[in-house]
Amino acid sequence: MSLEIDHVTKRFGATTALDGLTFEVARGEVFGFLGANGAGKTTTMRICLGIVRADAGEIRWEGRPTADLPRRTWGYLPEERGLYPRMGVLDQLVYFGSLYGETPDRARRDALAWLARFRIPDYADRRAEELSKGNQQKVQFIAAILHDPEVLLMDEPFTGLDPVNLVLLREAFMELRDRGRTLIFSTHQMEMAEAMCESVAIVDHGRLVAGGRVRDLKRASGRRTLHLALEDDPAPSWLATLPGVEAVRRDAGDAELELLPEADPAAILAVVLSHGVSVRRFDLGEPSLEALFIEHVGRPSDDDATLSPEVAAPSLSAGGLA
Amino acid sequence: MSRRDPLLPNAGIVARREYRDRTRSPLYIASTILLMAIAMVVALAPIAVRYVDRQTVTRVAVVSDDAELASRAVSVADSLLNIPPPGASAATWNRPYSVEVADDMATAEALQAAGRVGAVMVVRRLPTGQVDVALRSSDGPNSARSQILSVAAFGIGVLDWSARLPAGAIRDPFLTPAFRVESINTATDAGAPLDSRQAASRYLLGIVFVILLLISIVIYGMWVATGVASEKSSRVMELMVSAASPRQMLTGKVVGIGSAGLTQYLAIALPALILLALQDRIASAVLGADWIAGAPLGGLTPALLLGYGVFFLLGFVLFALIYAAMGSFVSRPDDLQTLSLPLSLVAMVGYVIAIVALGGGSGTVVTVASYVPPLSPFVMLARLMVSAVQPWEVVLSIGLLVAAIAGVAVVATRMYAAGVLLYGQRPGLRAFVAAARRAA
Repeated sequence: MSLEIDHVTKRFGATTALDGLTFEVARGEVFGFLGANGAGKTTTMRICLGIVRADAGEIRWEGRPTADLPRRTWGYLPEERGLYPRMGVLDQLVYFGSLYGETPDRARRDALAWLARFRIPDYADRRAEELSKGNQQKVQFIAAILHDPEVLLMDEPFTGLDPVNLVLLREAFMELRDRGRTLIFSTHQMEMAEAMCESVAIVDHGRLVAGGRVRDLKRASGRRTLHLALEDDPAPSWLATLPGVEAVRRDAGDAELELLPEADPAAILAVVLSHGVSVRRFDLGEPSLEALFIEHVGRPSDDDATLSPEVAAPSLSAGGLA
Repeated sequence: MSRRDPLLPNAGIVARREYRDRTRSPLYIASTILLMAIAMVVALAPIAVRYVDRQTVTRVAVVSDDAELASRAVSVADSLLNIPPPGASAATWNRPYSVEVADDMATAEALQAAGRVGAVMVVRRLPTGQVDVALRSSDGPNSARSQILSVAAFGIGVLDWSARLPAGAIRDPFLTPAFRVESINTATDAGAPLDSRQAASRYLLGIVFVILLLISIVIYGMWVATGVASEKSSRVMELMVSAASPRQMLTGKVVGIGSAGLTQYLAIALPALILLALQDRIASAVLGADWIAGAPLGGLTPALLLGYGVFFLLGFVLFALIYAAMGSFVSRPDDLQTLSLPLSLVAMVGYVIAIVALGGGSGTVVTVASYVPPLSPFVMLARLMVSAVQPWEVVLSIGLLVAAIAGVAVVATRMYAAGVLLYGQRPGLRAFVAAARRAA
């Protein structure tokens, strides 16, 4: 039982947003939908929700095409954040809950419980415009899950959240997963996906370039990540010239080296020692998700080289009377 | 969209939110109370005017070298200016004019300069025997008083001529001829043509109704458009599109905001209508038994009110659907003014043709416009108010209007669905029309 994205194609004018995109999400999973801006993540979610129609292909949940599914199957946290500015927080939550078929009483009770969980119970009667961005985002998240949807689609849910709220949101994710809900979120922040996802799909230009369980993907990749800590100079410039090293990331006092499949750790260690430095840590591990992303897409995930098709879509010839 | 959601309950939920959102806003409440007060003042204005009027008597001075001519002028002008309204008792009725002879031209001019005389009639007999009457007045030649006095001049002339007939000629007493207009294209009440008083009332009511229709359609239509546009600009639309279908949202918006408009409308109109209906009683209390019904609602029948209600609702729905589709096409509410101007102009055209129809126009343009949406709500309403309309014409007009609403609803829903997720585009009229064509 799963969510199947089956050869979905969508064009907006001359732009192909999705090009035969195919992958599967198992029920009860936390699934990361990874790609740079413009990879087609938002479009895929909108097709799931029936807001946008696919040109070809089909999306099914539990074997049923999305058109046959009731609206309340889905919970959706859009990337663009917004609430009714002058409406009370609790009122809007009850409103959205009612639209998804909840009784007002139940929606009110659940909304209050969630507000308390997210440490904003005092804001229930405030207008949305009085809330900070982060708090508005939490209210929007509650609006998306109040009707307890089977599948929760979230578009970049972590952007703009401070560390405390990130933890709160993550705990909520885990609780929903434990209740058997399927959580799918798009992100270009690989650390978040690394920390939370069991499976991922990496998309680029509307096509799946890699997908499956994170563990399997890491195993299949010949790459490894080397954590290297040196005394004195934590990251000398010659690290990038080491044999078989593709990329270097510097943390505080530590360096992370992404190794190509053909790299030989022993040879690397020999070169490092030949520079006359003393090594505090030399730790060879699985590649990071970021490394996998670079491997499959060919550039880092936060590289906005391509224009988002969502920006240009659905194309109407602009112009007309000014 | 592939999914076909039932309209209810979500359209109802959306409508309720829109209604509450409007009716609870301080601006709405304040403007409703203010307009209610203004409408009540306007409804009472005629009584106030008459109350003030009753106190003042306008003096008209007659100047003539010929004493006989002067006294004749006084009696004719007096009888024509001071015609008591039907039903007034001559004993207690206050004559609004006092016509008197002035000693000479200089006296009359001094009185007029001092503001104590409203008009001076200079009556002379020319060498040819013709009577020459000059009216010195601040009124123009088309004012009611000037018109009446021109008739008086004719009367003076006739009487003067007959007085100079050879002695011994036998003549009957002079009788003022009766005059009335029998219009063949006039509104009827239960088959009988309206009397002039009712017809005048219908004309005035027609103007009021058509203006109200225009204002309410444009204002409440813009409410719908700005509602949609601000949902887009606040990005709450992104949450809405997954929670409700475009059809549900559009229906909910039009119904909810339409109801809020209707509420305001009734709050403004009902007290004023009640005051108008009670005007006779209020007037006789204030002005005494001699108040003669101005009958401002004399021409109003339940059928006309019903007709007004039907054309108001259908007209609003038709325009509101287009306004909503326009609202979905702009990214910022400011851009709405530009895009909605042509639609407001279409409503204005309907208004202008309706005014022509109220003035008695019955040409092809008026007739056709009374059938064709979106002009028909204005023009058919006007025709109903002042002229005879066949039942089949009303049925045709309403039928076409309903059909247009059904067609526009389909197109508007598709445009709305496409428009709400569209950001950053310049809201060109051409883009809007192109999208409408694609959606149709």
